[in-house]
Amino acid sequence: MTEARAKTCIACGMPMSKPEDYPLRDESKDYCVHCARADGSMQSYEERAAGMAAFIVRTQGLDEGAALAAAKSLMARLPAWAGRQ
Amino acid sequence: MSIKSTILTKKDRAAPRSREERKRLTGRRILEAAIRVYARDGILAATSSAIAAEAGVAHGSVFARFESQESLIAAAIQDFGAEVPLRLHELVRRGARTKEVLAAHLKCIREREDFYARLVVEAPLLPEEARTSLVLIQSAISFHLAPAVEADRAAGRIKAASLPLLFNTWLGLVHYYLANRELFAPEGSVIDARGPELLDHFMSLVSKGGRK
Repeated sequence: MTEARAKTCIACGMPMSKPEDYPLRDESKDYCVHCARADGSMQSYEERAAGMAAFIVRTQGLDEGAALAAAKSLMARLPAWAGRQ
Repeated sequence: MSIKSTILTKKDRAAPRSREERKRLTGRRILEAAIRVYARDGILAATSSAIAAEAGVAHGSVFARFESQESLIAAAIQDFGAEVPLRLHELVRRGARTKEVLAAHLKCIREREDFYARLVVEAPLLPEEARTSLVLIQSAISFHLAPAVEADRAAGRIKAASLPLLFNTWLGLVHYYLANRELFAPEGSVIDARGPELLDHFMSLVSKGGRK
């Protein structure tokens, strides 16, 4: 459990500290519940970028294009999407 | 400074056990030094040699641990950003109201006020990686504010307004005072001097009937 608590989502960077943070409460996964589809599989790059951009718009009201650019910029630094632009 | 993640403990300062541990502690020392130098000299004006001197390490050690100035700046911002949402999350989980969450936000800023004020002023000029980190941090803070706002709104305590507008109004107010803090509190912390007044004013703006 201590190992699981130290995990950070490879697809969005969110710390994963409890079972609810994991898709279908499966703590063997390296991505979080927000980056998973309903069946527990990891979202595609496009799905995740759109989801993260929507989150930014919902919380700060940014322009959609600016929010998408910020999302992709962040994702480029995450292990799941290394090298993508 | 009470934010745990920025403090090297006595145990950390004792002789480390392994090479990996030494690398981690050196990185932590450089990051803490960078935050102090950014606060003192400005983020864009800070030099790697000043950061190395502040950390007490060789100049090359800075770039052995952080590949560029840009990544060091982003790491400093992320260090701030990692702690704030966690603290707000705990408050919201306990059912805190909007005013309590915003007071906690001010407290987090106060603990890094010199650095955060530099960040507010220099944000538009920072490298993309740093600006993106800041956008995500603000979204995380707004996200954690949302349940408290929603509960207050449902209880009829605050007006119906969109979350982004409400959050941006708060940030605009606080950031203005931080950006001009030498005018509002030349002798010290603008958050200490004006924070309670700003919080009361904001709550009077959003409260139904103008009450706090």
